[in-house]
Formats: sequence, C-alpha cells, structure tokens
Amino acid sequence: MIQVILWLPLAAGLLCFVVPRRAVAISAILGSGLVLGLAIALVASFHTAEAGLQHTVSESWIPDLGVRYQLGVDGISLFLILLTALLWAGVTVFSSFRMPDRRRIYFFMLGLGETATLGAFLAQDLLLFVLFFDLMLMPFWFLIGAFGGENRIAATTKMIVYTLVGSLLMLVAAIATAILASDQVGQLSFSIADLRAHTLSTGSQQWIFLFFAAAFLIKMPAVVVHGWLPDAYRAAPLPVLALLAGVLSKVGAYGFLRVALPLYPQATVQYQELILLIGVASILYGSVMAFTQTNVRLIAGYSSIAQLGFITIGIFSLRPDGADGSVLQMVNHGLVVAPIFLIIALLWERSGSEDLARLGGLAMRAPVLAALFLIVTLATLAMPGSANFIGEFYILIGVFQAKIVYALVAVVGVALAAFYAIRLFQRTMHGRLAENADSREIALRDAAVLAPLVACIIALALYPGLILSRGQAAVQDKVAAVVSNSKPVAPNAPSVRAESGWTSYAPLGASPTRGDR
Amino acid sequence: MDVTWYLVLSALLFSIGAGGVLIRRSPLVILLCLELMLNAGNLALVAFARDRGDQDGQIFALIVMVVAACEVVVGLGLIVAMFRRRLPLNVDEMRNLRG
Amino acid sequence: MSATTYAWLVLGLPLAGCLVNALGWRSLPGRAAGWIGTGAIALAFLNSIAALVALLDKPASGRELTSSLWTYASAAGLDIKLGILVDPLSVFMILVVTGVSMLIHLYSISYLESDRGYARYFSYLNFFVFSMLLLVLAGNFVLLIVGWAFVGFASYALISFWYRRNTATKAGMKAFVINVIGDVGLVLAAFFIFRELGTFEYLPMFQSAPQQFSTNEGVVVAICLLILVGAFAKSAQLPLHTWLPDAMEGPTPVSALIHAATMVTAGVYLIARMHPLFLQAPTAADISAFLGLATLIFAATVALAVTDLKRIIAYSTISQIGYMVVGVSIGAYAAGLFHLMSHAFFKALLFMAAGSVIAAMAGTQNIDRMSGFRRALPFTSTLLIVGALSLAAFPGTAGFFSKDEILAFAAERGGFYWILAIGGYVGAFLTAIYAFRIVFRVVYREPCPEARKLEQGHLAHAEPQNPMTGEKEDTDVGFPGPEHQIAERARPMAIAMAVLGLGAIFGGYLQVPGVDHVLDTFLAPTFEDSPLHSGIHVSTGTAWAGLAAGAALSLLGIATSYYLYVVAPQTTERLRERAHAVYAFLIHKWYFDEVYDTLVYRPLIAIGRFADAVLERVVVQGIVAGAVGAVRGVGVVVRGAQSGFVRAYALLVVGGFAALGLYFLIVSS
Repeated sequence: MIQVILWLPLAAGLLCFVVPRRAVAISAILGSGLVLGLAIALVASFHTAEAGLQHTVSESWIPDLGVRYQLGVDGISLFLILLTALLWAGVTVFSSFRMPDRRRIYFFMLGLGETATLGAFLAQDLLLFVLFFDLMLMPFWFLIGAFGGENRIAATTKMIVYTLVGSLLMLVAAIATAILASDQVGQLSFSIADLRAHTLSTGSQQWIFLFFAAAFLIKMPAVVVHGWLPDAYRAAPLPVLALLAGVLSKVGAYGFLRVALPLYPQATVQYQELILLIGVASILYGSVMAFTQTNVRLIAGYSSIAQLGFITIGIFSLRPDGADGSVLQMVNHGLVVAPIFLIIALLWERSGSEDLARLGGLAMRAPVLAALFLIVTLATLAMPGSANFIGEFYILIGVFQAKIVYALVAVVGVALAAFYAIRLFQRTMHGRLAENADSREIALRDAAVLAPLVACIIALALYPGLILSRGQAAVQDKVAAVVSNSKPVAPNAPSVRAESGWTSYAPLGASPTRGDR
Repeated sequence: MDVTWYLVLSALLFSIGAGGVLIRRSPLVILLCLELMLNAGNLALVAFARDRGDQDGQIFALIVMVVAACEVVVGLGLIVAMFRRRLPLNVDEMRNLRG
Repeated sequence: MSATTYAWLVLGLPLAGCLVNALGWRSLPGRAAGWIGTGAIALAFLNSIAALVALLDKPASGRELTSSLWTYASAAGLDIKLGILVDPLSVFMILVVTGVSMLIHLYSISYLESDRGYARYFSYLNFFVFSMLLLVLAGNFVLLIVGWAFVGFASYALISFWYRRNTATKAGMKAFVINVIGDVGLVLAAFFIFRELGTFEYLPMFQSAPQQFSTNEGVVVAICLLILVGAFAKSAQLPLHTWLPDAMEGPTPVSALIHAATMVTAGVYLIARMHPLFLQAPTAADISAFLGLATLIFAATVALAVTDLKRIIAYSTISQIGYMVVGVSIGAYAAGLFHLMSHAFFKALLFMAAGSVIAAMAGTQNIDRMSGFRRALPFTSTLLIVGALSLAAFPGTAGFFSKDEILAFAAERGGFYWILAIGGYVGAFLTAIYAFRIVFRVVYREPCPEARKLEQGHLAHAEPQNPMTGEKEDTDVGFPGPEHQIAERARPMAIAMAVLGLGAIFGGYLQVPGVDHVLDTFLAPTFEDSPLHSGIHVSTGTAWAGLAAGAALSLLGIATSYYLYVVAPQTTERLRERAHAVYAFLIHKWYFDEVYDTLVYRPLIAIGRFADAVLERVVVQGIVAGAVGAVRGVGVVVRGAQSGFVRAYALLVVGGFAALGLYFLIVSS
C-alpha cells in the first residue's frame, strides 16, 4: 500500500500533462484525494503497540553501493504521512480555484513535491532518505521561482544555496557513515536498520552528527541558519508556502528522530546541550521577531521558527515524553500553520495587502472566516485545550525533567506566542475596516478546504492521545537507544578510526545483495 | 637505424609546430601548426613501434590521424564560418570569451 | 442519577447552548439566542441543585466523587484523563457560578437587545460559563489549566466584543497576555507537581503531598508561588492587576459576570482547592495573604479617585478579592468562599445597576457628569443603594457577615495575622467611602440633564462615543445597540436585579456567628484535612466583637462619604488641589501601567526592533552577504587568467608541460 501512496502523486502529476487542459485540476485533485484516502487507511491499519516498522518494502536497488529501496512506516512517520496527504489535498483543491497560468507544470510540481516528501518520510535507507530529501527541493524551487511574487529569483537562489549546502553535507555524512560502518556490517550498506545495529565510534559520530544536524536545522529552519526564510516566505505563492511551512519544515525535525538519534547516539548525547541551546534560541528569537514584523507572512514564518524550536528541544530532551510531544507537535504545527497561510491568501484577496498596517476590521461581514481564523490562532498560541498545548506540555515536561533551565527559558516563548498570535488576529480582523479593504465572507469553496482542516484541529484537541499513543512505542525505541548507547564504546570493541576507515572499506562490487529481510 | 634520429626529427617538428601556434595570429596557420605537432607525435609513435617491434604505436598513430582529420574539419569549418561572417581572421581580436 | 452525572450535565448544557448559538447565528430569530443561552444556564443551575442534593445524600466522608469521560492523553508515563471531581467545594462553586450566570444572562437578554452581535454575545457568554464550570469541576491539574485558559479566552473575546473599538481590542489583548502569564505559572507548577508527586489527579496529589514534602521545602514553596502567579493573574491581584480596569471595555453584563462575580474569583477557588499544598508551604500562604492585603488597600485608594463608574466598581472588585485571598490564604476557607458568594451577589448587582445608569446616560460613564437619578430611575437607584450597602458591609447585609468572618479569623489566629485584621478594617472603611461615593454622586444632588429628560419620559440619546478617548464610535457592531435599555423599562433586567438584590441582603444569613454555619458544615469535608480549619475556631464573642467594629467602621465610612459628597461637595475639590501629588498618584493608579510599559513592554519591543534591525539584517543576512562576497572575490582573482587570448592559453599549456617535464627530470635525476 505504501508503494501506491508514494508514487501515486507523481503519477497524477504526470497525468496532468496528458489530460485536456480543463481536466488538469481534476486529475490533480483526484490524485491527492486518493492519496489522502490511502493515508487514512494506513493509519487505520496501524498496529499501535509495535515499535518497529510496518508495511515494509525492501527491494534491491543498487546492489554495488549497498543501496536498497527500503520503505516502512512507524509511529513517528505515520501521522506525518497523513498530514502530508491532508495538506497536499487541501492545497491542491485550494489552488485549483485560483488556477495559475501554467497549470500543468504547477500541478505536476505539486505532485512531485508530494512524492518526494512522502518518500522522505517513508525511506528506511539512508541514501534513499537523502535522495528524497534533496528531491523535495526541486519542485519547490520551480514552484517559488516560476509562480512566486516579487523578487522570487533571488529568493529561490538563496533558499537553494542554503538548503543545498545542508544537503551536500548530509550526503557526505551519509556516505561516510556507510563506509565507516562497512567494517562492522561486513559490507557496504545504507540500510538504517543495519547502521543502527553497528554504530560508529564516538569520534566519527561527532562530525557526522554535526553534518546531519546542519542539514536538518537549515531545513526547519532554526535560528542562525534561517537566513533564507524571510526572502523565500515573502516570494512564495501562499498555497505553496502553506506546504513549505506545514510539511517541509517537519522533515528536518523528523530527520533528527529517524537518523540522528538512532545512528549517532553518543554524539546526540554529547551535542544535546548545543541543540537545546539552538532550539531555545529559535523559540525566543522567532517569537520576538514575530511580534515586531508587520508582514503577515513573516509573522507566521517567524512563529514557525519558534514552534520548530519547541519541537527540536522536545526531541533533544532525549526523554520519551518530550520526544512523543514533538511527534504530536509536528502534526499540530502543520495543521495550524497551513490554514494560516491559506487564510492570509484570503485576506490578501480582500484587502490587497499583507501589511498589518493596511489590514483591519475584516471580521465585520465575515463571521465564519473570523471564527475559523480565531480557532486557528488559538491553536497556534497553544491555548490549553488545544492539541498544540498538549504537544508543548509534553515537550516541556520532557525538557523540564531532562534540563530544567532550558524548560524555564522556553516557557517564556509560550507567553510571547500569545502576544504575537493574538496581535496577528486582532490587527487583521478587528478594529476599523482598513481602506480599500472589502470585508466579505469566505466563499463556500474556500470554506470547503479550511473547514476540514479546522475540524481536524478541533478533533485532535479533543483527543490528542490518538497520535501520542501511536507514537510512543517508536519514540521510546529511538530514545532508549540513545540512552543505552550513550556510554562510550568499550575499549575492546572494534574501533574504526576515521583515517583508516576511509581507506579500508570493502571494495566496490564485492558486496553481494544482502538478504536481511 | 637508431630511434634517436627519428625522435630528434619529431622533436624538431613539434617545436616548429608549437612555436607556430604561439607566434602566428592567423587561425589558418595555427591550425597548420597544430597538424605539424600532431604529425610530430605520430612520427615518434611509429618510430617507437618499429623499435619495439609491435603494433601498438601504429594503432595509436592511426587514431591520432583520425582525430587530426576530425580536428581539421571542425577547425576549417570554424574558419570558413568566421570568414563568412566577415570576422577578422586574427585570433588576438577574437577574445569574446575573456573572463 | 449520581452527582457526577448531574455535574457532567452542568458542564454539557452551557457548551450545547454555546454551540447552538454559534452555529445558528444567522437563523435564530429575535431574542431566541438570548433565551437559548439563558435556558441552557438555567438548566445547568437546576442540575447543580440536583448535584447538591445527590451529594448531600451521601455520608459526609463519601462526598468526594470522581468521574472521567475518556483518557485525554496517555503516553510516555503521563496519564491525563478528562475527569471531574465533585466535592462540596466544586458543588458550591457551580451553584454560585450557574446561579449568578443565569441572572446575568437574563439581564443581557434585554440589555444587548439591539446589538448586532446578539447571537455571538450569547455564544461567548455560554462558552464562558462552560469554561468556568470546567475550571471548578476539573478533577486534575491539566484540565484545570484548560479551564483556566478557556475562561481567559472567553474573557478576551468578551472584552473585545465590540471589536471595532481600538481601546476594546487593546484591553482584550492586555487581559489575554496577562492571563497567559498566569497560565504559564500554572503550567510550570504542573511540571513541578508531576516531577515530585508523579500525578496530576487532585485526590492522589493531595493525599501524597503531606508525606512527600516537608514543611516549607523549597520545591513546595516554588509550586505554591507558581500557583499564586496563576491565581493572581486571574484574580487581578497585585502586581498582575492592571488588566482588570481596562477589561471594563466589555459590555456591562460581561463586567458583572466575568470581571466581578465569577472568573476573577477563580484565583480564590484555586488557592482554596490547593490548600493541601499551601499547608506544606506556609511561607507562600503568608506571602499570598499579605499581597492580598496590599491589593485590597491599594485598590480601595484608587477607587476613591477614579471617575469612570465601571472602573470604580472594577477597583472595588480587585479590593474585595483581596479580602477573599487573605481569607483562603490564612485558612479561613469557608469564610473566603462565603465572601466570594456574597461578593458575587452584590458586585453583579452593582454592575447591573451601573449598566442601567450608563444606559440612561446614553453611554457616558463619568460619574462627575451624573447626578440625581433617584426620581428618574427609582428601581435602579434602590438596587444601587442595596448593592452599595452590601459592599460597604452595612450591618445585616451579606457583605457585612462575610467580610467580618475573614477578619475575625485573622484576629483569632493572632501573631502577625493581626496586621491582616487591622488592614482589613482600614480597607473596610475606605470601601464604605467609595461605595457611597457612587451612590451620592449618581442618585443624590440635583438631577443632571439626562436624568431630567428621563423624568419626563425620554431616554437620552447620543452619538455613541468611546468613553475613554471620546472618539466617535463605529456603530456597525452595536455598542449596546442604538437603543439603550434601562431596568425600569425592561422586565428581564429588573427581575435579574431584584433576585440579586435579595441575595445581597439576605445571603449573609447562611452564616451568622453563633446562630448558624451552613457553609462551614457543607464545605467541611473538603477542608477537614487542614489543621487550620479544624484547629482554629473563632469564638462567638470575638466574632460579634469583630462584627461590631465592622458595623461602626461601615457607618463611619458612609457618614464620611455623606459629608464629602453631599454636605460639602467642595471638600473633594479642595483636597484635590491641596494634595495634588497624592491625587495624581491615585488617578494614575499608582503608576502601575506606566511602570510596566517602561519595564516590560517597551524593552520587549526594543529587543524585537533590535533583533530585526541588527541581528537579522546584519548578522544573519551578513553571513550570507559575506559568503557571497567571498565567492565573488575569488572569482575576480581567477578571472584575470581568462584573458581571451588563445595564444596565451597555448603558452600556458606549453609552459605547464615544460615545467612538469622539468620537474620530473629533476626528480628522476
């Protein structure tokens, strides 16, 4: 089933090139809708108690390099897949009402993007993960570069350069991991399961971990490496931005859980404080920036830096409660930030501006829009009672028990979030009606996209346990590995020094296809 | 006969060719000089082949001839194209690829 | 049905009312939304009574019932259930909340009749009641935080109900942010509790607290102080009180319900609920009590100076909650809650009467412009006086018995708690003065033009304008609507006020020293674990002595007020001029807003600007620019080699080969 989920969006995207012009949107919507249905079925057929992978696929792909086409789902990726499918379906429908000029290429790129993102969540082979991770970049480059607003070329260039630097570091790190581990594994293998069973020596783990961390932090983005965010967010078309902030940013955080923690346990423990520091800095900096900006996109953008800071510190609390909260929070944040960007698109249609100074009073004739926006805003600021609150609660309780200082500082971010989120809502919806603004109710078709998303937010608020309980086994597995592995390697264990590792790998082509599954 | 003499001749020819490439400005002459250099190489190859008593050098020489023929075709084609466009037939004035 | 089933119904009905009003906003005709809202709360009130009856049916030791609907979040060692706790304390609270809410809903049916956001208003109001009930019924700390935040949101939504008014939206934001600070305090307290006790559920938590903590251990003091942050933010106690006066931007019934009778007393409830923890941290309890005392005196002094009718009552609320906080902090739990109840009655009544007066003034709230409404508004005037009497603790009224019970307890506890008693009596004297300042300004003296017109049967009309800024209002969303409603002409308002008036007078007879102690007995199962509750008994003699002192101070205060505002009205003017500095200090509310503005808000904004201008532009983008510049620079250097001269390239090739050949020659030789 996951094969279909993975490739169907691309197929639907390709279909957009052959069907008549009028049916392009329909084929794209059908494709993403079908994926959504399958993703729901995937969740329904998930076995909660299992920590390991489910629905695994493992085919030989490039045997000479030890690369296998390995897919699988566990409690961490399960709801991210559903989130991806959901947001993509929503955005596809939303875009189909505002048909861009080159619609074939637009929907094809959307489909390709979905496949790439799902691939990143499904891949269980390190190189396959890297491949999909980089593939995600390409459709978004085109979507922003071709359909974006002012200054889009410069913005995409910046984004590409930033993410590519990260990606290349990650590629180097992935290859190095496989080569260094080949001594112990017995052959060259990129399979995460194999690599996990034979972790590297502490010395190599350190730099490899830093390379991966750089890639993930850039993707999120976290503070200091977020330089691409303002430009890209200003230029991107809003539906695309909803995906960028809603799903793509999660891949970074997901990568930590999927790759960094299991493969580099000692390094994770060693750099825990560094990453926590970056996370807390992201929270504070993102929040402070969010309440000084007047561009609504940037407010939402910086707020996601802060939210991803929370997710990061949750993972690096290295406790099951914190990390489980992060898994929940990844889904939550995707669910709230995407509607915000779609709503910003609606605000722009009503007032022709994205500047707070020129917005205001839009609630008057649009009570439904205001109500939807209000619910999303409250979820964004993690009001108790929302699933976001439970997510943050778990995260903070994890950090609190691991490193209390960081939790106390991070809590400031919760208060700041209330300020910037309410400010965003008030300055756009409340007050006097802005000049040239037209307060009109949300159209039925837009409501058809937003209302289900908001319904999901409310449903999760009533029962966040849905995600928490399914995530906990897998999370426990990842975190327990770190904690048990954090002891330094025993002196008699075969230690691989970096220098010798480079020259003493198994010769290419010598490794036969493995049959571990 | 000693292979040295062939090599001396080959070196002489190569130097003449290289000098021509460096000094002359007409593309036609430069092409000519390039041919000279290639043939100097050929001479050396054939001489070595004979000296060693196997065919490897001969084969290399044949390949070089083929390459030389291709090169002449492309080079002359370029020169003809330059001529047709009334561009100056002077390599020092053709420097659009300056960095 | 068991008590818990009734409790769930109590919770569910307001939520249902909220949803019906929210979804049916377009199709509900006329006053239907109002009646639906009121009906839902009335049913909830009936269910509360049923819960009370069911609870009384049980033996006193078995009056703590829990029930949960589903597991809210259970993973990774945390287990949070959607559970409620029904015990005497929560039943007492739901009775007060639903009872007062029902009357205020009834009042609102008429008061907001011509407002455009009628259904929205009742939807919010029902949501508020639901949240408040969730807060008091919650069976664990997390659900408490949820209810805590929900009431904060409801308060925000209702303060900025007239959302086109800039002052209203600003006030809403302020209230929300300060409340979130309180939430954060509670969240941190929850973390500590979980770390120390391993549970969020109240009953296990309270049972293990005495064993787990030694008295005044650092952790338990920290927990209690964090709880106090939450409680003080919500109950507008020093130093987190600044939002409440601004919250008066909301519709008057909202001020009555949320910012006087129910929500702001949540902090008192919380301290009472958490008393097992506070017993382990007497330091924190003392801090709380003395902050309460400071608040009650501070707010009473400010109430003497401000001129906005609703803000006077707001400061009075802050002051009265100070009494309750003192009460529950020193162990006079039943007394504190008793005062909570009587305060709910008389303060809601005062706000309702104020609403009626403000309507008669066509929206003006400045008491300097009001006078002589006794003939124009006979009913409102009467009830305003009733409310003021109860507030001023006039002998025999509800406020009289409840306030003095707290102070008598403080005196009985002795030691430095005497300071609390004395301070409380000083506050009581000030209270009597400002309470009757309202009465003498509004009801007595020569009628103002609006009152005169009303006597002739014409309700004043005016262009609605913002009472704070004088800005002309944008009337598209109402402002009690174009038609103002006064109690004399609207039956629902009159009924609501009359019922509350009865409560404000006779509510005190639930608990008269030496005669009866209904509340004390009823609440006993909740507080029996407290040595303060079972150990300290105020003797009837002391209690009556306290009552006598209170009565004397009250009468003295009223007399002072009569002299200041009726006999010699110029006195206040003269005082104002002679003690100008004091007056400025009071009218600026002790400069709290200004201090917070300079100490918190401005620095934050400055940090934000700095981050934007320096960190973002220079550092973050600077790194990028630097990297780009470096690449460019290398490019410039390397570019020199690309001369475009073919022969130069050829020379390089030849030269390179020559050099290489030379190198190998040297190496091989």
